[in-house]
Amino acid sequence: MEDFLHELWVARYVLLGGLKMTILISAASILAGSLLGLMTGVSLAYGPRPLAWLMRGYVDVVRGTPVLVLVLASFYVLAVVGIHFTAVQSGIFALSIFCGAHMGEIVRGALQAIPKTQIEAGRSIGLTFPRILAYVLLPQALRQILPVWINTGAELVKASTLLSVIGVGELLLATQEIVGRNFETLQFYTLAGLLYYCVNFSIERAGKMAETRLKGR
Amino acid sequence: MTGKRALLSIRGLGKQFGSTKVLNEVSLDVAESDVVSIIGASGSGKTTLLRCVNLLETFEEGEIVLDGQPIGYKMVNGRRHRLPERELARQRAMTGMVFQAFNLFPHLTALGNVMLGLTKVRRLPKPEAKELALSWLGRVGLKERPLHYPSQLSGGQQQRVAIARALAMDPKLVLLDEVTSALDPELVQEVLQTITKLAEEGITLLIVTHEMAFAKRVSTRVVFMDHGRIAESGPPKQIFAKPATPRLRQFLRNAHV
Repeated sequence: MEDFLHELWVARYVLLGGLKMTILISAASILAGSLLGLMTGVSLAYGPRPLAWLMRGYVDVVRGTPVLVLVLASFYVLAVVGIHFTAVQSGIFALSIFCGAHMGEIVRGALQAIPKTQIEAGRSIGLTFPRILAYVLLPQALRQILPVWINTGAELVKASTLLSVIGVGELLLATQEIVGRNFETLQFYTLAGLLYYCVNFSIERAGKMAETRLKGR
Repeated sequence: MTGKRALLSIRGLGKQFGSTKVLNEVSLDVAESDVVSIIGASGSGKTTLLRCVNLLETFEEGEIVLDGQPIGYKMVNGRRHRLPERELARQRAMTGMVFQAFNLFPHLTALGNVMLGLTKVRRLPKPEAKELALSWLGRVGLKERPLHYPSQLSGGQQQRVAIARALAMDPKLVLLDEVTSALDPELVQEVLQTITKLAEEGITLLIVTHEMAFAKRVSTRVVFMDHGRIAESGPPKQIFAKPATPRLRQFLRNAHV
């Protein structure tokens, strides 16, 4: 135990750096991915045909592709076509694309579940469609998808471990490096697992809180 | 019709769903402060007519003139074109619509439902919108429940919120589409009383209803529709006491008036 604590003290900066990177990457991808998902979902539900088809293609292709493939592709393939991202940028890009596709499908479903009569009620008081979307449809849809959105956030935190393969120093890669030096596999992988659990537990709690607050309505 | 200028003038309105003609050569004038009730069997085109006036439906023939302005379409080089969304929205705001199923916004309180159009369409500042919305909720008898959500209100209360939402926009004409049909029998009267009060205040109403006694009492004119056409129209006394067409006689007999 004393030995572990000593190794932990030695590795503290690496470990904290990894945790910070994991949180940063996850937060950035959830944010960008959710915005992308929102736009995708709205286009799928109400967009003009060509745009809806384009988005349908994006969603289906990405949802049918393993996240690891997306990560490797955005690191290696984008460089070939002249887009030079750092590993971190590629990682955030890949996870955002992944998150956007899933959220897009979820937002579409929630929007289409709202009765058409809500649009008519909005029209009858003179709202234009963009306003109906902003004040009538999206507020209702977002309430519906909150639990799934939280879940997607947690999935994304877990998926961020995949970025270790392109050399992003997130929590898993940091742990591997530490273990590579001190060979305390059991202790440090357990610790990493616990840290991931803490991050996702916080996300889940925050989601539950938001949900109860909205339920009051 | 009195000698007043027509606020709403429908001329030769025609609409088709596929090969079915749901509105056929419908012409109707509504003057300011008129209360016109449209009666008729289900599927006779009453609701569709109302929805055309609120521009929720397209129509292929004829025109609707509201306050001197043709609505929904414009003629360019002899061809009809549906107006752009922004223009339609502006024209829709001139009429208020109350739906059979209330169609309140479930995520907003009673107050929020009434305020939305005031702040986003009429662009009133929040405090002013709130004051106006509260006064309308008071006029429909809901002063005590501005912060209730639709799910916390009875059907009759929800429908009265919907009436306040439509009226607060200060429309020139209010369209009421079978507003009591989805209500428990006990709740029908409170909504009808609210509407009667509006009629007495001189608000122009175009009402689709199955409540014959109410139509008889509140209307300045009653229109009977049958198979997409206006079969008969006149003052309520004449329509209910001396129906001219066999079809109206049959309808009234079945409606137990």
